[in-house]
This record gives sequence, C-alpha cells and structure tokens, in this order.
Amino acid sequence: MRAPATTHGSLRVRGLLLLAALAATLPAQTHWAFEPPQKNVPTTTDPWCRDDIDHCVLALLATTKQRPAKAAEPALLLRRAHLVLTGLPPTTDQVAAFLADTTSDAYERRVDELLRSDACAEHLATDWLDLARFADTYGFQSDFECRTWPFRDWLIRAFAADMPWDQFVREVLAGDLLPDATIRTRTATAFWRLHRQTNEGGSIDEEWRHEYIADRTDTFGAAFLGLTIGCARCHDHKSDPITQRDYYSLGSFFQIDEAGLYPYSTGGTPQPALRLATPEQAAEIARLQNVMAAAERVHTEAMVQAEPVGVVAVPKAIARFQFAATVNGSCRDDLAERDANVPAECVPVDGQSGGAIVCDGDARITVPKLPAFTRDAAFSVRLGLWCKDRKERAVVLHTSHYTEDADTQGYQVLLKDGRLCWEIVHHWPGSAIAVCMHEELPLQRWCDVVLTYDGSSRASGLAVFLDGQLGRVDVVRDHLAGPATVRQLELGGRDRDRGFAGGRLEHFALFDRALSAAEVALLAGKPVEEGPRVAHLRAHAPAVVAANVAWREARLALHGYVEAIPELMVMQAHGQPPARFVLRRGAYDQPLRDQPVQPNVPASLLPPGASGPRDRLALAAWLNEPSHPLAARVVVDRMWALCFGRGLVSTPDNFGRLGVRPSQQVLLDALACDFARDRSQKNLLRRIVCSATFRQSSTASAAEREADPHNERLARGPSFRLSAEVLRDQALAASGLLHQEVGGPSVKPWQPPGLWRDAGVGWGGSDYAPDTGPNAHRRSLYTFRKRTSGPPDMLALDAGSREVCSVRRQPTDTPLQALVFLNDPVFTECAAALATAALQRAPADVEQQLVFVVQSLAALAPRAAELAALRALHATEPEALRALTLVASTCMASDAVVVLR
Amino acid sequence: MNGPYELDALARARRAFLGRGTLGLGALALHSLGLAPADTPRLPHFTPRARRVVYLFQAGGPSPFETFDEKPLLRERHGEALPPSVLGGQRLTGMSGNQAILPMAGSFTPFRQHGRSGLHISDLLPHTARIADQLCVVRTMHTEAINHDPAITFFCTGSQISGRPAMGAWAAYGLGADSRELPAFVVLVSKDAQRDQPLYARLWGTGFLPGEYQGVPFRPGASPVLFLDNPEGVTSGARREQLAALAALHRDQFVHEEDAAIRARQAAAELAFRMQASVPEVADVSNEPAEVFALYGEGARQAGTYAANCLLARRLLERGVRFVQLFHQGWDQHGSLPRDLTRQCQQTDQASAALVADLQRRGLLEDTLVVWGGEFGRTAYCQGKLTKDDYGRDHHPRCFSMWLAGGGVRAGHVHGRTDPFGYNIEDGAVHVHDLHATMLHLLGCDHERLTWRFQGRDYRLTDVAGRVVRELLA
Repeated sequence: MRAPATTHGSLRVRGLLLLAALAATLPAQTHWAFEPPQKNVPTTTDPWCRDDIDHCVLALLATTKQRPAKAAEPALLLRRAHLVLTGLPPTTDQVAAFLADTTSDAYERRVDELLRSDACAEHLATDWLDLARFADTYGFQSDFECRTWPFRDWLIRAFAADMPWDQFVREVLAGDLLPDATIRTRTATAFWRLHRQTNEGGSIDEEWRHEYIADRTDTFGAAFLGLTIGCARCHDHKSDPITQRDYYSLGSFFQIDEAGLYPYSTGGTPQPALRLATPEQAAEIARLQNVMAAAERVHTEAMVQAEPVGVVAVPKAIARFQFAATVNGSCRDDLAERDANVPAECVPVDGQSGGAIVCDGDARITVPKLPAFTRDAAFSVRLGLWCKDRKERAVVLHTSHYTEDADTQGYQVLLKDGRLCWEIVHHWPGSAIAVCMHEELPLQRWCDVVLTYDGSSRASGLAVFLDGQLGRVDVVRDHLAGPATVRQLELGGRDRDRGFAGGRLEHFALFDRALSAAEVALLAGKPVEEGPRVAHLRAHAPAVVAANVAWREARLALHGYVEAIPELMVMQAHGQPPARFVLRRGAYDQPLRDQPVQPNVPASLLPPGASGPRDRLALAAWLNEPSHPLAARVVVDRMWALCFGRGLVSTPDNFGRLGVRPSQQVLLDALACDFARDRSQKNLLRRIVCSATFRQSSTASAAEREADPHNERLARGPSFRLSAEVLRDQALAASGLLHQEVGGPSVKPWQPPGLWRDAGVGWGGSDYAPDTGPNAHRRSLYTFRKRTSGPPDMLALDAGSREVCSVRRQPTDTPLQALVFLNDPVFTECAAALATAALQRAPADVEQQLVFVVQSLAALAPRAAELAALRALHATEPEALRALTLVASTCMASDAVVVLR
Repeated sequence: MNGPYELDALARARRAFLGRGTLGLGALALHSLGLAPADTPRLPHFTPRARRVVYLFQAGGPSPFETFDEKPLLRERHGEALPPSVLGGQRLTGMSGNQAILPMAGSFTPFRQHGRSGLHISDLLPHTARIADQLCVVRTMHTEAINHDPAITFFCTGSQISGRPAMGAWAAYGLGADSRELPAFVVLVSKDAQRDQPLYARLWGTGFLPGEYQGVPFRPGASPVLFLDNPEGVTSGARREQLAALAALHRDQFVHEEDAAIRARQAAAELAFRMQASVPEVADVSNEPAEVFALYGEGARQAGTYAANCLLARRLLERGVRFVQLFHQGWDQHGSLPRDLTRQCQQTDQASAALVADLQRRGLLEDTLVVWGGEFGRTAYCQGKLTKDDYGRDHHPRCFSMWLAGGGVRAGHVHGRTDPFGYNIEDGAVHVHDLHATMLHLLGCDHERLTWRFQGRDYRLTDVAGRVVRELLA
C-alpha cells in the first residue's frame, strides 16, 4: 500500500492538462518498459552461480558488499520446487528418497519430473484462470451457468505440451483465423468470451456490446501488455502513450457479431459459438454434409431434367384469418379449428376488399395452435397490410417471446428503416438468416405481402413478394447455426419491442411450403408469366418432389446430429462489423462520428508489422515481434512471481510510467531476451528453480527483513503465503484424499449449504448441490465458480471473484482464514484422513505419527520444540485418532504449512 | 477471554511489523489497538459527525410516488400520455421504451403531513411517519444506471461495472472497526423478502482492497459467520489447546524465521477464537426485552427477517461495527404495484422506524448515520397496461427519493424538488457520488483523499466526481 497523496480525481483540471501535456511531450522511449529489453548480464566467476540469474543477483549484491544466503535445507527446497511447479506438496516418501539421493543432479532430475507432470500443467493453468476471468456463470444479474470448461482444458493441454509462447499467443488471439484452424485452436479464443455478460430484461443491447469489447480490450492490456489501458476509454492515457483513439482502434480487433445480452428464456450459447465435436463426431458431420450436398445435387439435376407438365393452381393455405370477421375479440380460422385473439385495442377499420383492423403498437394479436415450423421446413406467410408511416423499427409478425435483445427465436417479419425484413433466427444476430427488401415499403396503401422460405437455412432460401412480384432484397445475415424454435405467433407487436402502431392488417395466411413465384402471382390475381410457370411445374414434377424430400431429410439428419453437440462461445471474424468510432467519455451512445476507427495496434509501443489484413492474427504477430518491449517481460515477470511470490516488477498490473521500476531490471531483461528466443515457459521455470538464487535459504534476521522486506535484492530464497488453491490442494494431497483426474467439467466440492440461496443470488431459489464421490476431492482449479457467490473458503483465502481480469491477488492474514483452516469441513476432513494415515503408518509410535503428519504437510521434520508442542496437544485427548486429528488440524493453520519458506 | 498469546505478542508484532505493501492482520485488530500500520491512511481527516453507518438498502427501486414524493398532477392526468417534452428524449429501458403510449399513473395511496416538520409521507408508511422529524428526505437522488445490476453495483461500490470495493469496505479501510471481536463491515440480507432481483457478493466485496475489508454476511441462526463453529467433537477446551499448540509452533518458527508475519498469523487465530464467542452472542436476541419486540415488530423474533436484521444491526452497531448494510429485495414493481408495494412497506416500515427510534433513545443516533433507499426510482408513467386500479412502473434513474437520519444530517428536512411529473429534477440534484461523498464526510473522511493505488491509479469510492451536499448537513 502506498500513502495516499495525489489522486486521479483530486488533481485539478489544470494539473491534468499539465500531466497530459507532459505525457505528450515525452517520447515513449524514455520509459524503461517501452524500450526493447537488452541482454546485459554481468560476468562473475563466483562458483555460487549456476545461471545468468545468479550472475545478475550476485552483481547487485556486490554493490552493497552482500553475499547470498546459504542453501536452503534440502527438504524445504524440495517442498518449494513441488509447490512452485505443481501446486502440490511432496509426499513423505518423496522427501525421503530425495534426501537419500546423493547424485549431483538429484534436484535437477526431480525438477524435470515435476515439469513433465500433469500437476504442473494444472498449476500453470490455474494461474491463467485469474487472467482469463474464468468462471462457470455469466456474472451479471441472474448469473446463469455457462459452459466454459473446455477453455480450461485447452489451457491444461497447452501447458502440458509446453506450447511455445508465440503459438500460445496466436491460438488465444486468433485460433479461428489460423490457416490450419481446428476445433482445438478455435477453443483457445474462448478466452475473449469469458467476460461477464448480462441478460437482464430491459438492458440496452448496444451499451452492453460496447461493454464486452471494452472488457476484452482491458484484458488484452492487462494480460499481455501489463498495462492499464482502460484509462484511455474516456480520455487519452494520462501517463502512458495510449491515446483514446489507440484504445478504440485496439478494441476494433475484438468486434464479433454478438448480442449485448445472452439468451434469457431460450437457453443456448451466446453466438458466435463453436460446436465442440470430437474427431469421431467431426467425421460423422463431414459424412452427413456430403450426404446433404449429394441430395442437393440430385435435386438440382432433377429440376433441370424435369418436364414441365400440368397447370399452376392457387395454393392452399393451412391457416387463414380475415380480420373483418373478428367477433368479441376472437377471429376464426377459415380453414381449421382455431381462433386468433384480437385485443380490444385493435379496432375495426376499412380494408381493401372488406374490413381490417388497426394496430396500436402495444396490443398483439395472438394466434395459438399453429404448426411450429423448424428451420428445415419450407413454409410461407401471406399478409394483407397497410403501413401508416415510415417505421424505423416495427414488429409486424413474430413467433418469439421477448424482443431481440436476448430472446428472439423463430421467424419474423419486421420493418426496419422503412424496409420490410424477413428473418429466421436462432440467436440474433450471430446465428440467423435475414433479408430486407431493397426498396422501402409503400405507405398508406394496401400491400399484399408474401414471404417464403425453402427450409435450406440459407438467406438465399428467403424470398419476399410484394403484390405478386418478387422483390429485390439485401442479405442482412446468412449464418443460421442452430434451431429456430417457434413459439406462439403474434401479429402487430411484441413484448418490449416496437409494434406496428397505426398499421392495418386485413388478412394473414400460413402455407406449409415455399410458394412459387407463379403461385404468388395467382394469389395476387396477376397473370402467370412463362418463366415462373415452367419453374413451378418443374419443381412439382414427381422426381423433383422426391429429391426435395430426400434433401430435406438429409438436412434434418445433419442438423439433428450437429445441434446435439455442445457449444462453446468463441471468437469469429465479423462479416460486416458495424462502423466503430471513438466514444465520447466512453459512452456507448456518444460516438464521435468524425473519429472513425479501424483495427490497429498502439503504434507508440511498437509499429505494426508489414501490411496485410489488420486482424487478430496481425495483433498476435505484433505481440510476438522479438523487439516488442512488453510482451516477453510480462510473461517472464509472471513466471518469476510464480516462483518467488512476487514479480521483479512490484506492480505487475502496471509496467507503465505509474508503475514501479523493476528491482532488478538487468535480470528481468536478460530473462526476457532469452524467453523471446526460446519461447518455452517450462525452460524458463526450470532455469529459475534451478538457479542458486532460488535455492537459497529464505531465513533472515529481523534486521535483514527490515532492510529488504520484500526481498527485492534476492539475498535470500523465496517465502510467501500459499494461494487459496494450493492451500486446499495441499491439504487434500497430504491427506491422501486428492482425486487426481485431469480436465473435464467443473466440480462442486462441499460448501456450507444455502449460500447461493441466502445471498439472494440466482433465480428460483436455486442452490448449490455439492458433488459426492471423487469429484468432492478434485484440485481446486476445477471448483465451480459462480461469480455472484464464489466458493467461500477460496474467497476467504484471497482468491478473486473472477469478475474482471486479475493480474495479482492481495494476500492477507485474517481471522476468517484461521476459521477456514480449523473449522471448514473440507480442511477438517483432510485432517482426519491425514491422522488416519499416520496411525496406519506407525500404529504404535506416537512420535512417528506426529512426524508423519508434519512432514506430509511441511516436508521438513519437526524441530524439537515443535514436536514438544504437538506432543502436548496430543496428550490432551485420550482417543488416538481424535488426538492426531487435532494435531493435523492445528498444523494446517501453522506458518510452516501455510507459507512456502 | 484472553488467548495464550495475546496482546503483548500483537504489540511486538506491530513493532516488527512488515514494511510498506503488506498489511498482515490489518484493520480488524490493529486499528482497534491503535496499532494500524504506518501506511494506512491517517484518518479521520477531520472530526466525524458519525462514527458508524447502517444502510437499509431497499433493492429493486422503491417508487417515490407512493412513498416520499407526492405528485397530484399524475392523479389528475391519470391515463394521459406523458408529454414528450417531459421525456426530453431521455433513454428508457428496453422494457417500456418501445411502448406506443406512456400513460401517466397517479399514486393509489394518499399522503399526509407528519410531525412538526410537516413532512409529506404516504399512508403506506405509518411507522416511518412517526419518525418524520428525524428524517432528512432527499427527493432528488439521481443515478447513471437504468438496470438493476449496474445500478445496485453503482450504489454499493461507486462504479457500475468492475469489481470495485463496496462503501462499507472503504469505511472499514479508512476507519477500521471499534470492535476487536467483530468485523468492521457486516451484511444482513432479509430472508422474508420477495426475491425479484438478485443480490451479488460483489455488492459487499472488497474489490482491490485487501480481503479483510470485505463485508461479512451474517446468516440467520446459531452460526452467523461461515466456519464459525468448531468441527464436531472439538470442544472449546480442545480448541484452546489447539491454539496453545499453534502459539508454541509459531513461537518456535519465529525464533528461526524472525518474520513478523508469523505473529500476525497467530494474532489472527486468537482473534478468530474470540469471534467464535462474540458473534453468536451478538446474534442472540433472546435476552432482548419484550418491549423491543413490540417496537421492531414480532417478526424480529424470527432470525433473518428484515425486522430481526434491524434489531441485529442495532446490536452490531452498539458493539463497534463500523458499517452495517441490510438488503431487502422485492421493490421492483413493473406491474401490480398497488398490491406489491403495500407488501414491501408492510415488511419494512415498522422495523426501519424502530431502528431509528431505538438508536435515538440509546443515544446512538447522534453519531450513527442511517440511510434508507434503493438503486433508482420508477417512472411517472405506467409500464404495460394501465387499468382503473392497477398499474406498474418501469425503472427511472433521473430522480428518486431516499432518506437519511442521525449522525450529522438535518432532521425533519426535505431536500430538492422534482418537476410536477416526478420525471426530472428542478432543484437540488444529488448524484450517487454526491451521496457517497457526503456519507464519507460525515464519517470524517475527505472522499478525495480516501484512496487506494491500484494499477497505477489512485482509486476512490467517488471515482472522479462527487461533492459533499452541505444542505443535508445539520
């Protein structure tokens, strides 16, 4: 903590201007972190040194005539390596074997084994979950569950394979854009979709869409640049060379075709999404796609060969309503046993050939019991309508629940900017097909509108006819990737949407196939021209009809198969990204129209690379430039913090001018230069933990601690409070309860009952249902994370809530933590299991039992005073298991266990 | 009750305390002993008017039109469309923003004047009416958010979006606790409320401040704090033995490591032990006399109700908790407002008033700030269908009512004026940041100087805005 001096807000305007002017006049190169790192390792001949790391450290210590500390006790060093590399403690047998191993490279071999372990991959992935703001729920308001764990599995696999850092960056940033993109590489891009999302009714779609892009932008800055670029959302960054324009340009990389709200009542995954097909499933999909393509070819050929025989007849509808026939709010279907409900607000008015009704924009005509067409079915809609005025937006007909802010699904007819639009929607806008008429709808005259769909799931299968004439349309969306489930059909408006106010409806009919142009002409009382007549007759030749049925069945088979495969939110290039502007003070509704932006990198840090598309792949390449001033330093510092509990930069969230200069820049830069070449995170880790610096004892006198409280000079080894996850995993592992299964969906270990319910979070009183069996004892990175009510023991131990990207945690020591160690059933269960194991190990020897308990948790054998204290505690309880459980429980709260030393 | 390794150890730990950047045990214990680390802010900045806060958060957005801001015009023009000139092109939510007509809705319930101050309060709040002369009603609150989640997050943390510290966390960070055995910031959520809009742990979260400033939710029942109870079979005596052993382990570890954090860790364990006794004691209201239950309502006998939480809040405040925040959900009347708002008022009116009266007779009101209010107001127009005797109101951030009482605020006072439609503010606007600045001011803190450096920037509860509303001060 620093003493509060100046504050962001208390600075007077003049001060702000001054600072801004200062930042503007200072060239970017004057700040250490904005210059490329240089390797400049001092050479010493001291035999203490094992690595360049040690040369750097020793040279610094020499300036104050200090010497490094003595080597750590072997058992403690082993514990350190295990915890730092895997997050799990060594077993007593591993400690014994290590102590007995007298070969000169015993430690290095152990380190290599640890680096190869699954536990290491899991531990490294855990570190990334905070950066990824990884959670199992969306986070805002009703905080529904979302499916994100495949991204965690991707992380684990990436670390298990020690994926080269440049590849890691490429896959996370642009796994969808790679020339050889696979399901695996595309899974990596889920990183950008793990931000919180809302589905709160009434939320403004555009506001949230900007919010999500802002989160991605801020996360990019924090996780990859070590900068707080969020400041530039409202104004040019006050201290770092990031302008507001840079901020919005950078954000442009992260535009996708998404909604601001995730689906509330239709379920499903926010789009764009990826079907996570297994290789077997992918093969089956390919097969079904081939079948479908073949069926389509057969159909096309049959059309060419078919003889146009017969005549075109007026098509038969399956439902038809003449609203003039409305009696007491009810309008009978001419063709079937069903009634449309016509609210009193829809009053009668003259129609074209009889009566009609006029809509008020709020009240809706509902038509129950209509067939629920799927996206694989062909169908058509006919409407007799009269539009009073040019509508910026109006719902004429729809089959969904709420407005398209979250819940549109099915088919719909809208007016947008005066143009009639015809849409089939799974989730708007990322998964839909939609066309709008090129010309605006004529006003204040009756229009005979027919809308047809051929069941192909393609925009080309949508047609709009006006007064019997095929209309010219513009394709608005052409990517329908899921079911378009139809609910009740409504006319004249929609809940929470803008209705067809002042518009008139005379009739409405539904057909269970795509009407042909010839049929539509007939319906409109127009003469049928030769071309449409021939086309219609061909399409109704028996061979074509049969081919059409086969084609539809092939589509059904494919879609039925694909839609059962779970989805994952991912990044996907936006076909028609909306124009993007700098937003005044970051407000979504105040775009500065004279300041349009395109995707671009903050060139003041490093100019963009060679020409080419400005996409996320280019952003990855920019980050991977060997001369990038920040990219490698940020990774190296994070790895250092993993080993030493604290980065070389004490403000890992800010490498910028307001951050703190690294305590040992020579060391940081040497490692960064090597890493930029080698790109292996595990090689870097190996170097650090095998260095003489890491192997030092962490013991220090009070005076030494006072002189260098945070060990910035590295005159001693690391010591730090273990993280929440490591503390729980250590207890589980030491007690033998840990179930080591790698990957898979999140699990729900025990937590106090009623928490989700009592906090008032979630809807419908849903509560946490803990897992029993092995999943109760999985590693903590698999624990289900509900953002609005996190796992309480983890939170008490300083784990974050995963709401936004977090670069570091604030370690604290609080009474609530002591309560967790001593009372949380998760820990007390471990204590009992450890006691049981100790009893089995040495049934007759209390001292050996005590030693076993301590060594299982702390690796080091207890000192005499410690043993005496535990023996005294043990003696207060006559029953052996209970006595030993008390001992184990007490140890779990003790410094030697809670702290890495 | 003294642990085996008590104050002297703590004092020594303090002397050897870690340098800048580490807090160790932190405010909970150290502030109370005057042992706060040197680099915590030197607070208060000036003489406080209030030593503690109880915030009665009415989640969902209570309607001002049926509580504290009477609008006869809406009754007169009930059913007419709200003039577009009043709307002024302001954004509406996606729920009613597309309605073809926005009909004005007058209050179904009458108002009367109360007390010497003559405050106008609706008949739905008869108990609150009795404390009218203690209240400082602000009719001109306004906020930036229009939906629940961002709006309530904004109110509780000063920011709509990111994980910022809650108001109570700021107060705990700035001022610590007056109790050695209870957390500085306690949260109480009503169990008897209609759960129409959810609550989130982030509303009492600590954000980037250290975890010890986190709001601690007290749950109804014998074990109000998580993990408070010893595991089955571990008696209090056994726990004391465990602490003695732990102290011995730590003593030996300190001899070897000379690390002050070891002592802080032991002190935290001792404090946890004391909390195991003090927390159940404060939560147990069985010894309260019958007249207390008469005052708060019989519902106060049932742990977890709003009434019980008001009573518990008083007990926590008496024992030195700095900031108590109650949450009562169910104020989101999009429809069926007459029925549902009546229910809300019945659930909360008596206990809210009782808390103020109880604090006053105990002499605590003068330095306890009581705040009542929700995250936004409601529209002058009806959402959905307006019928003769039923209506609903959508969210409205542009003006709404709250009240303050006690610690340094003007009693029997009304601040600000809304227009005759209750749609816009005419005079005396109070932004959420202004309220926060004023609350901190009453606590003796300059809101511009209570800061925490995070990601290279000094953050405050009031972001880059906020002004102390002097007109609210006594």
